[in-house]
Parts: sequence; C-alpha cells; structure tokens
Amino acid sequence: MHLPPFEYVRPDSLGHVLTLLGELRGQASVLAGGTDLLASMGQRLMKPKFLIGIRWLPELQGVQAMADGGLRIAAGTTLTDLEHDPLLAERFPTLKKAINAVASRHVRNMATLGGNLALPTRCWYTNQTEGWRDARSGCFKTDTQACHVLATSDHCVATSSADSVPALIAHGASVTLASVRGERTVPLAEFYREDGANPTVLAPDELILAIHVPACTDRTAFLKVTPREGIDFGLGTIAVAVTGSNRRVARARIIVNALGSHPMPLREAETIIREQGLNEASIEAAAAVARSDLGEITNLWTPAGYKRRLVRVLLKRALEDVRKQKWGHASFLQVGEEMRHVP
Amino acid sequence: MSPKQIIHLTVNGDHHDIAVGPTETLNQVIRDGLRLTGTKRGCTSGSCGVCTVNDERGRAILSCITLAVECDGRSITTVEGVERDGKLHPLQQAFLELGAVQCGVCTPGLIMSAMGLLNTNPNPDQRAIDEALAGAICRCTGHIKVKMAVAHAIQQIAASAGTETHGQPG
Repeated sequence: MHLPPFEYVRPDSLGHVLTLLGELRGQASVLAGGTDLLASMGQRLMKPKFLIGIRWLPELQGVQAMADGGLRIAAGTTLTDLEHDPLLAERFPTLKKAINAVASRHVRNMATLGGNLALPTRCWYTNQTEGWRDARSGCFKTDTQACHVLATSDHCVATSSADSVPALIAHGASVTLASVRGERTVPLAEFYREDGANPTVLAPDELILAIHVPACTDRTAFLKVTPREGIDFGLGTIAVAVTGSNRRVARARIIVNALGSHPMPLREAETIIREQGLNEASIEAAAAVARSDLGEITNLWTPAGYKRRLVRVLLKRALEDVRKQKWGHASFLQVGEEMRHVP
Repeated sequence: MSPKQIIHLTVNGDHHDIAVGPTETLNQVIRDGLRLTGTKRGCTSGSCGVCTVNDERGRAILSCITLAVECDGRSITTVEGVERDGKLHPLQQAFLELGAVQCGVCTPGLIMSAMGLLNTNPNPDQRAIDEALAGAICRCTGHIKVKMAVAHAIQQIAASAGTETHGQPG
C-alpha cells in the first residue's frame, strides 16, 4: 500500500513543533515511531496533510530519575529504550513487563511511549483497507453517524488496546501535554474518554510531552491474554497495584484494557480488596463482581460473555500474583519478610 | 505535492545521496532505488517482518513503515551487508545447514531479525530468540527450524569465540 500524499515537515525545536501544531490545527499529525500512524495511513484511515517528524528532537528523548523516586519519561523515548532502562527494571518491573508486551521487538525498536498512549482504538470494520470500508457506508470514525460493529450504538465502540496504559494508570502516572497555549498535566486515568472515535482529551494542537510515574512502593502485577504470544493485540489486559500488606490494604488500583473503548478501573473489586484485604475469599469476591464492573460491553473481537469470563480469570491471576509478593516500604528494596502494618 | 529532498543514507557501509519524496518509505528506496531486493516488501503495515533491516544501533527495524526522509544521516544494514569478505555470516550458514528455508520470502527478514538480536544481546537464551523472531514469522510452517538455526548459529559463534552459552559446552 502506498501512502496517501502529504507534506513532511522537520521542525528544528520543540517550540517549532508546537507552533506548527497550532498553525496547522487538525491538518497535521505528529510522526514519532510511525508504527501505527503509517500503517493506518496506508489503509487511508488517516489522511493528514502534514506530518511533523519529532524523532530529531532531543527534548523528547530519555528517562529521568526524579528526586522523589519517580520517573519522567520523555514521550519520544522508544519502548525498547525504556525496556533496557535500568531504572525501570529496578523500580518498575511491572511497567517493564507491560511495555515488553507491546507488539514485537521490531515494533518496540521504533514505537514510542507517547505513541502507545495515543494509540487509536481498533475495530474489525474500520481497521481495513479503503476498498473494504467502501463496501458499506462510513461510521463514527470516518464520516457517518453509524456503527457497523454494534448497529444500535450511538457512539464508536472500537477497542482501546495499548498495553502500557493499564500499567501506567495503576502506577498513578500522569501525562504532560503541551501546546502554544501552554502546558497542562492530567492524570493518565483522565486522559481517556469513553468514545472510540475520539478516545483521548488530547487537543488537535497539543503534543504529548512526557509521562510522569510517581515512586512506587506498591505490589504490582500486569497480565495480557493474546491468541499468540508475540505481536498480537490483547484480548484483555489487567494491571494491579496494591498499597499495604495482605491484611491491611490501604489502596487497590485495578485497571483493565482491551475489553472496551477505554481503560477501565474495576471500582467494586477495588473496594472489596481495600475493605477485606488480600486473601482467598476477598479475591474470590472481587472476581465475582468484576464481570458487572465492566458495565456495558460489546461483542467486538470476542463475545461479551467471553470478556466477562476473561476479566474474572485476569483479576484472580493478577491478585494471586500480588498476594504472593513480599510487601515492603519500597518495592525496589529487597525485603525479606512481609512487614506488619502498625496502626 | 512537496518537492523531493536529498537524503544522505549509508547502506551496508556505502554512502548514498538520494532524492526522495515525502511519501517514499525506506523499503522503496532500498528496493526500487538502490536495487537491493534482498529486503522484501510484504504487508507494508508492520506485521509480517519481511522488510526488516538493522539501524545504526544494530536494532531490527521495519523498512516498510519507516519514511525515507526520516533516514537522513542514518546508517542501515540490509541482508546484502551481512556476509563479510565473501563469507557467509554464521547465521546464514546455519540457515543453510539446517534447511531453515521453505519458500524463502521471510528468510532475509528473519536473518535481519536475528542479527538485531545478536547485535544487542550476544548471548541470548531461547526465550530471547523466540521474542526476537516473533515479529517475523515463517508462515510456511518452517518456524521451528528457523529457531533451531538461530540457536545453532549462536552456539557456533560462541564456540569460535571460545566461550560458553548458557551452560551448553561451546
């Protein structure tokens, strides 16, 4: 597939990128790794008039350790560079695992973290060639108010499937967005919207600048279920972060992705774990409510019934994993014994 | 349409100044421009891996979803640049000896995927081999032999270097 016509712009600074995004509002796409954008342009899913190449900018590269033990990850850092970063291996093994779950080594060598956060949603109708899509009218994502996946839907239900996202949300990450109007930082959990056609709050003139991950003393886990182990999009992913010991849980974050059009927290399950601690009975109880925690889901990619069974399995496995981990004040310190929480 | 621009691209150690349009991919430049047709063109969407080349850091990248204009100043190795002084690389030799080829379309991409692994991890275990090859699978059903060939080549390289791989005598 040849690419549709566009003009390529090579900006000389970060400020230049923001000016261009402001001037070309809506007509330009930012090209980072290009692993999704160029493939989508080949399918004529996106036809930006301008591509702004940002791989040249040193401001968008690298991982920085913050004084509080957290990380600042520049959005243009490739996923392979992140995986190889000693800070990630040492302090955020679950994040490393989630990033390793993305696509293939080839793709991770090119793709960036900012690109993974902004990964468009997917469905089996729209993510096809133009000829295939022409067989029916357009949809919410292209040019018509219709959904061919769920005929009764009044919005796009395409699946959100970025693997890094649930892990980052479970870690309490936030994202800094920049434009000529200024910078703003939003919690990653609030970066996503319940609309497959417009899945993030990123404005057309905004650029994802950096991702901030606070210091982590939680016990964490990440799981992804795929048809094949390599390169597939997930059928379901889960990330869990638990603050406190098995007996006393101060906070539980449970986030699933690839099951709907946005990453979803399992609120009822979180409440059960927080109130009852981590034990066989509480995990069983949390798994039992997880299916209703999902809310309305579609038969997209897999039947809704499969998704409800899958989330139960994901939740049980992830919480069992966390339950077996030792708890200490800092996850990156070697702690021999589980520490008792003294009230 | 915006005009063509000149990029400075090094391919297998040779410097080229090439005029490219904005929509041209690295794959088009390598195959259609430089006539290095060892690198294949497959799905053009980053799934099949037959277009794999190595970048200046030795990493496996997909030439079909890399814009040529973004390769200005970069250095690329294709499958034609793997042999040295007329001698096949141990990886290529292992593919030959173990018959790790069926139709052959995926072979250059698999060689470059495995080279990407060796360039960044000289002593990989089977898990690392599987992971490195997962983005470039032999769809003929010959993938097991490919994995065996890569493992064999790693042993051969280790043996000639007089070291040991993961507990196996070299």
